[in-house]
Amino acid sequence: MKRHSCLFVLATLLACGCAREVVIDLPEEEPKVVAICHFTEGEHFKVNISLSQEVNDGSDPEFPGEVDVTLSVNGQFYDALYREMGVGNTYYWKSHKAKIPREGIRYNLDVRVPGYPVAEAGSSIPRHYGIRPFQILTSDLQVSEIGNGMNELRIPIELKLDELPDHGRYFAFFLNHDMQVYESLSPPVTDYTKEQVPTNFLSDGRTISLLHNIPEPVVLVNENYWDDNRKSLFLTARIPYDPDTERPKKLYISWRTLSEEFYRYHLSLSRQGGNLPLSDPDAVFNNVEGGLGNFSGYSIAIDTIAIPGF
Amino acid sequence: MSRTLFVILLLAQLAGIAGAQGIVQRRTDFSCENCRPGEALVRLSRETGINIVFSDRLFEGCSAASWNFRQVPAVEVLDRITACARVSYRVVGNQVVFFSFVERHSISGYVEDAETGERLIGAGLLLLNGSAHRAITNEFGFFSLREEEGEYRIQASYVGYKPLVKDVSLREDRKLQIRLEPDTRLREVVISAGQSGDARERRSGSPRYLNLKEMRRLPMPGGEADLLRQTALLPGVQTGADGIGGLHIRGGNADQNLFLLDDVPVYSPSHALGLFSIYNPSTVSSVKLWKGDFPARYGGRASSVLDVRTREGNMHEYKGELNTGLFASSAVVEGPLVEGKSSFLLGGRMTYFEPWVNYFSKRGNLLTFSGDDVRYRFYDGNIRLNYTLSDRDRVYFSYYRGGDVFKNDFEQSYNDPKGFITDKSRLATDWGNSIAALRWNHLLRDNLFTNTTVRYSRFTYQSRLGFRSDIVYPNGKTYELANYGQLYRTLIRDWSWKTDFTWYVSAPLTVRWGASWTSHNFQPGVITANFLQPGQTGSNVDSLASILLNNEKLGARETDGYVEGEWEFARHFRLEAGLNTSYFQVRDADYTVFQPRLRINRKGGGGWSQWAGYHRTAQFLHQIGTFNISLPFELWVPSTAKAPPEQVDQYSFGTGKQAAGWNWQAEFYYKSFNRVLTFISSGDALYTGGAVDASGWEDRIASGTGTSRGIEITAEKLTGKTRGGVVYTLSRSDRLFPDLNSGRPFPYRFDRLHDLKITLRQELTDWLEADVIWGFATGNPITLTGVKFSHESVEGEVQREVFFYTEVNGYRLPVYHRLDLAFNARWGHGNVKHALQLGTYNTYNRANPFYLYIDAGSSVKGKAIQFTLLPLLPVFRYEIKF
Repeated sequence: MKRHSCLFVLATLLACGCAREVVIDLPEEEPKVVAICHFTEGEHFKVNISLSQEVNDGSDPEFPGEVDVTLSVNGQFYDALYREMGVGNTYYWKSHKAKIPREGIRYNLDVRVPGYPVAEAGSSIPRHYGIRPFQILTSDLQVSEIGNGMNELRIPIELKLDELPDHGRYFAFFLNHDMQVYESLSPPVTDYTKEQVPTNFLSDGRTISLLHNIPEPVVLVNENYWDDNRKSLFLTARIPYDPDTERPKKLYISWRTLSEEFYRYHLSLSRQGGNLPLSDPDAVFNNVEGGLGNFSGYSIAIDTIAIPGF
Repeated sequence: MSRTLFVILLLAQLAGIAGAQGIVQRRTDFSCENCRPGEALVRLSRETGINIVFSDRLFEGCSAASWNFRQVPAVEVLDRITACARVSYRVVGNQVVFFSFVERHSISGYVEDAETGERLIGAGLLLLNGSAHRAITNEFGFFSLREEEGEYRIQASYVGYKPLVKDVSLREDRKLQIRLEPDTRLREVVISAGQSGDARERRSGSPRYLNLKEMRRLPMPGGEADLLRQTALLPGVQTGADGIGGLHIRGGNADQNLFLLDDVPVYSPSHALGLFSIYNPSTVSSVKLWKGDFPARYGGRASSVLDVRTREGNMHEYKGELNTGLFASSAVVEGPLVEGKSSFLLGGRMTYFEPWVNYFSKRGNLLTFSGDDVRYRFYDGNIRLNYTLSDRDRVYFSYYRGGDVFKNDFEQSYNDPKGFITDKSRLATDWGNSIAALRWNHLLRDNLFTNTTVRYSRFTYQSRLGFRSDIVYPNGKTYELANYGQLYRTLIRDWSWKTDFTWYVSAPLTVRWGASWTSHNFQPGVITANFLQPGQTGSNVDSLASILLNNEKLGARETDGYVEGEWEFARHFRLEAGLNTSYFQVRDADYTVFQPRLRINRKGGGGWSQWAGYHRTAQFLHQIGTFNISLPFELWVPSTAKAPPEQVDQYSFGTGKQAAGWNWQAEFYYKSFNRVLTFISSGDALYTGGAVDASGWEDRIASGTGTSRGIEITAEKLTGKTRGGVVYTLSRSDRLFPDLNSGRPFPYRFDRLHDLKITLRQELTDWLEADVIWGFATGNPITLTGVKFSHESVEGEVQREVFFYTEVNGYRLPVYHRLDLAFNARWGHGNVKHALQLGTYNTYNRANPFYLYIDAGSSVKGKAIQFTLLPLLPVFRYEIKF
């Protein structure tokens, strides 16, 4: 559907036009060291290192094995990260057990790959601005049929900040839920639980337009959302379920306070426009000097809310 | 001390005046038999001691007479003696000084086409003797000069008409109806001071009058004469490739141009996304362009004014005109409703684009699916009525309705591992303007002209999209995979009232003032979307329960007032100064903006002239959209608390020389843009049938600044069998948004360092001429990526290829150049006249890039997909007037 709509618009625009392949003289781009690391309190630094490619390079990206990755704080050596095996045949670099990040401290990352300039970046974990705890009441729940024998449970929720900072209103959230699967509902005989299922949501047009899906995966809240000093984000969680065998049990709300580096990087990625014709992409935010990527901190709190029976 | 001295001097001065006045109040005896006035005055001076200063020439027409006064005030004696002559006197010190008493009277009236009775805008009037004052007819063909009594020769002229010299004996206020005969031959344009508005303004750089007769001879796509394309041939005016992307005047955004049609703002001046303008050339009478240095009477936009006026219609006889080209045909009929008092003009234009659209869509790579049915057309309709109520009152009515219609039905079937799938889509979009104006001209005095207009302007864009996908399983069962409909609508509607006064105080001084009030209504993008029930189609989506993403309606009120003066002084200087004040009130904000405008011109010897100006302009309306290139589905929105008014300051100075049939001109400008707006989008609108989800638009715009500077050089040969011009602009334009490009400045999307336009017209015979246009420009900047990397989380749940855009608009498209050729023939007998144009547009078929993007799926470095709009096209137009 999306592809077809896109073509229709292009047809509108280019009804009299022609598309053809050309080869243009792009400037030479030497590969650069790419460092990606998002860190938060209580978890190790984990840095993915790869090399950038020319855009027409169809091969898999290169993940260099011989890399020297160090962290420093206030110019003082903090840790030398060690190599771990990642997913597939890739590596990542991890901090040592006692070297986990803490809020308010600025960490600097140095990545040295032989034959490439040193890649350097710095960031910190921002102070966490949490959301007010709340309960879900049975009276709040709405159930509707969505076809194919499925129902949808809709749960209106208000994510209300205890305190709204004057500046740096960089937040993100993620919703997921546990689904209890029953062998029998009457009497209830539990079969198993589907855990941490991503939860869709609805909201008003303004809110939706100021939320950005990013690959982390979290939903980035545009800083302009808070322009009128509102403190609440109103969403309606949508949980489809089979009324004969399933019941949603818990809703998890991950709420992140982001460093500016985290926010700007992901916001710029969301503005890429997918390399589509006529799109007006923004430059990608880069805080890795001598290389590319993103090194940024965030703080996170996860609330678990029981979904009452209905 | 100084205050005491001032009081003493003042008292002494007053005492002197009182003493002098006392001389002529003194009673006296006086007699003179058979004396001429001069002789009597000499004798009176001797007998009374009053010092009388006069010249015998003042009393040349007087004969001898006898006077005898007893104890009569001297003032009465003086009056009686000099009653035979048109003289007056003034007491200066202890003297009585006589001087010629000359009354001033106005010469006012209208300049008309002698054949049609249509009033001519921008016609020049020049007094060939005496003061050599000049005047230019206003937007209603009216002029006014105020001169001393005397005999005058007045020359009226207008491009394309035979100049007319008229002798006027000015003893009282005179009203003239000057009728100029059209010059039907292909004549060279002879430029002389005061010849016409065009000639006069050519010497001062601004405004530029477009020559409409020339426009019809220029080679344009399909032979469709287009005034926006002609405008784009002027220095400092740039467009996107082949017109798409709007006009960009001196680095300004496309939404910063005020397009007027009979004084009514037009929100979308183009058809076919910019390929053709909405102005039907057969209905246009005059076009003026100001490039940012517009006078205070214009407001509402920050970069330029294109003031287009339509024709009034023939007052004396019924006439018709037919034009047919490759893409469109138009017809105009006009004639008197009441002979000499009232006339009408009806115009219409319709395209027959379908074969072309289908041909080119099949040529391109985009629309090669089977079952495509692409239909597109545009249309225009103009109505113009006017009625002369009296020699001081006239009313006009103008109406325009025009629009574009695009439809695309699409169907494809394909095998899928699960079954046989059929997709059907239907897209129907239409957009257009409705414009109306009711105007009343009234002459309060012979030198005080007023015009009141009630205006209406409306622009809408609407699209309906329906999509359905069905699958037939191997067992023969059919299942509906998707059924979706969407309706999108955006609208802006204005009602306004405007009154202007023009006071021709004297020949060197004209004062204008006026006020307007506008009610703006915005509906910035409504999307209704829903999944349809079986049996329903996309065409009835709006009648269904739906998900309403944005249904915002906004109202705003704008009040403008201005005062401006045009003053010619010290023989060679002309000062144009004014102040425009605007008050804008919208939901949660109100703004007051003062916009001073100042321009001074010096006319030197040898055809030289110089000028300099400072102009502040502002606008409260903004067009925002995903692509930010002024496409019709982009939204018009008002300034609000979060979207402040845009403001531009322009400084310009220039010099020019006009001599021996040549016009040379160079002008430098510097513009600073404050609070210029852009819409930030992720490009998702591409997936919504062109619609822009305007939800939260105020929070999705970025406010920034910008600069633009450049030098424009023009060399034109205006006479002879070979005529033409070279226009070159060297310019830079950039933008700075804290929210974009990591806060670094970047080139404006239509920034072009070099822009060269060459036009050439060769008269081959009396009835045949050749026209050539060649344009060359630096490629537009676009944002391209040359690098990619993998954004991968350690746990592997996130993996995304990141195309790393280093700089916004950091890459230049290849240079743009194009050659257009046309031969124009004209012939006719009696009242029937024919014109034929044959030629080629983009003669050497240059594939000028409109846009390109890197083909990330290709392994060839630098491989890109390039979009080209107009290839080699034939130019054909046949015109018949009867």
